[in-house]
Amino acid sequence: MKKILIANRGEIAVRVIRACREMDISPVAVFSECDRTALHVRLADEAYPIGPSAPRESYLRIDRLIEVARRSGADAVHPGYGFLAENEEFASAVQSAGLTYIGPSPEAIALMGSKTAARNAAARAGVPIVPGNDAPVPPEASDVEIEQIAAAVGYPLLVKAVAGGGGKGMRTITAPAELRDGVRAARSEAGAAFGDSAIYIERRLTRPRHIEVQLLGDRFGTVLPFVERECSIQRRHQKVVEETPSPVVTPELRSRITSAAAAVARGVGYENAGTIEFLLDEDGRFYFLEMNTRLQVEHPITEMVTGVDLVRAQIRIARGERLDLDPARVLQASGHAVECRIYAEDPDNHFLPSPGRILQMRAPSGPGIRDDSSATAGLEVPIFYDPMISKLVAWAEDRPSALARMRRALDEYIVTGIRTTLPFFRWLFIQPDFLAGRFHTTYLDDVLRERNGRPFVDVPPSAEEVAAAAAALQALMSPGSGSTHTAEPDVDQPQRRWRSQARTEALN
Amino acid sequence: MQYEIEVNGHPRQVVVHRVDGGFVVAVDGREWSIDAARINTQTLSLLMKVTPAGPDRPAPIASHEVTLAPDAKTGGLAVHVGGVRVPVSLNGRRQWGRADEAAAGAAGPERLIAPMPGKIVRVLVKTGEAVSARQPVVVIEAMKMENELKASQAGTVAEIHARDGQSVEAGALLVVIHR
Repeated sequence: MKKILIANRGEIAVRVIRACREMDISPVAVFSECDRTALHVRLADEAYPIGPSAPRESYLRIDRLIEVARRSGADAVHPGYGFLAENEEFASAVQSAGLTYIGPSPEAIALMGSKTAARNAAARAGVPIVPGNDAPVPPEASDVEIEQIAAAVGYPLLVKAVAGGGGKGMRTITAPAELRDGVRAARSEAGAAFGDSAIYIERRLTRPRHIEVQLLGDRFGTVLPFVERECSIQRRHQKVVEETPSPVVTPELRSRITSAAAAVARGVGYENAGTIEFLLDEDGRFYFLEMNTRLQVEHPITEMVTGVDLVRAQIRIARGERLDLDPARVLQASGHAVECRIYAEDPDNHFLPSPGRILQMRAPSGPGIRDDSSATAGLEVPIFYDPMISKLVAWAEDRPSALARMRRALDEYIVTGIRTTLPFFRWLFIQPDFLAGRFHTTYLDDVLRERNGRPFVDVPPSAEEVAAAAAALQALMSPGSGSTHTAEPDVDQPQRRWRSQARTEALN
Repeated sequence: MQYEIEVNGHPRQVVVHRVDGGFVVAVDGREWSIDAARINTQTLSLLMKVTPAGPDRPAPIASHEVTLAPDAKTGGLAVHVGGVRVPVSLNGRRQWGRADEAAAGAAGPERLIAPMPGKIVRVLVKTGEAVSARQPVVVIEAMKMENELKASQAGTVAEIHARDGQSVEAGALLVVIHR
């Protein structure tokens, strides 16, 4: 394998480029119109335009991606996550073009991509699944029939898209009266998001935790499970903070849950990287939730505590190598790692997206800190894609030290020009329940509802005084002079000075 | 030099004098001696010492890294002091005018505008409908997420300028609510 086409953008494209470089493989980038200046384009050996900014016209265009792979002479394709990463047609198209797909087989993607088929696969492997109906609700089912299915499952329940993911096409139903509207809404959202409006019904566990197991499988039948990740800190079903190991998983539970994950993967002959997600209830029982047939966003925390480079492992597996990792070692976390997904969103305004140009950016560094990002000063955060600008990871020898290190790193992070969720994380990382590990998948939504939009940062009077002094000095010291001794300022027009400076910045 | 600066909504009087090796800055009468170094066009490193020093011991020299970036949303500056973001605007007449407008706005109709470019997924209200505070009014999709825009106070929907499926620019007027 000499050249890999990366069929993605953003931080994950940069992540894969880095693995390629370290393995002496040439990385090839693709980009949409608005990504011409993106970091993954600048870091790659070759870069090819694949169409307009809307994902449907570029990053989701299988034909154009295959065409670029051919033209560049790439011998393999890495899908990253999102976009076409769990699309069996894409995996098939790559293989049909005579190229290596760095990921599982199209058959495994198709099987585990259907939530109902995946549940059946888990049940066959003897792994508990969340109580629910094991077939999709037929599209022609009458209201009465749906009510019967729901009654058999039991309330409260979840209506979920068969092709679902990321909380789309999902509705919580607490009473039969909400069922009709919930099913209708879930169907329409699923149809819009996945092109498949099939739904199924499962029981909603109360206050569960989200625990997941990273797996690597090779083509010789070896499947290795890794120490679990805890991903219960979620906002609207989207993971926000992940850590490993989980503060509540005992060695005994770890042994059972990782064995269960490996059994499911072995049962379907799984190859390459994948993740099995479980819900853990308040009594310590776990249930299979779904399998993600790709690299996860949160893979870096596993890398930090096991020392395994998962992207490099993916590439090695894809080129036919045998897994030579020590199974006991990857089940044992060395220290503790935590990740914050930092978004271009305004936490003080309902987390609405905050696109725009990043004026300044300085990521934290130092001991135990890793910043996986594709954002740089001068770049626009486009409106077309997921607005994540960084995955900030902190590692330390234990959980309290890792959280302290993350607090330090969050305070070091400087991003100007756009709003980010940094203030929210600075708040979260001092919450007693979070620090004590007392949380579940709706913890964050619950506390945010209670806060009712209250700002995350109280500006102390001392900061106001410093800001006032700085603003006056900025107005006084002419921009770009590099010296405090400058020509007399335009006393009457400091506002104009600011504005003209803003214009200068915009041109830079 | 004297400046009127609104900091986090509070008006501040700032007087700056050049002295040998730096500045003396008084904020509402509290005085510092400041060594200001420019790192780049938007970043200052300030070493600040309260003057005059106390009788028993010399004042500590506090170090603050400050970034000052224009804030498109407010037309002022976003000043970051450490991890804390402080909204700042120079209190020229224009700024006071803004405050007056904001005060008038609090009593007048609420104009719900698109906070970013995106697609209207659903308009959840009809003209003439009564809405309560924090009731979702419009669902807009941008950056792969559906976002609910909510009424800030109770009122009656007076005008609707958005329809389902419509693409809108940032700042587009969507709904007007009379209080």
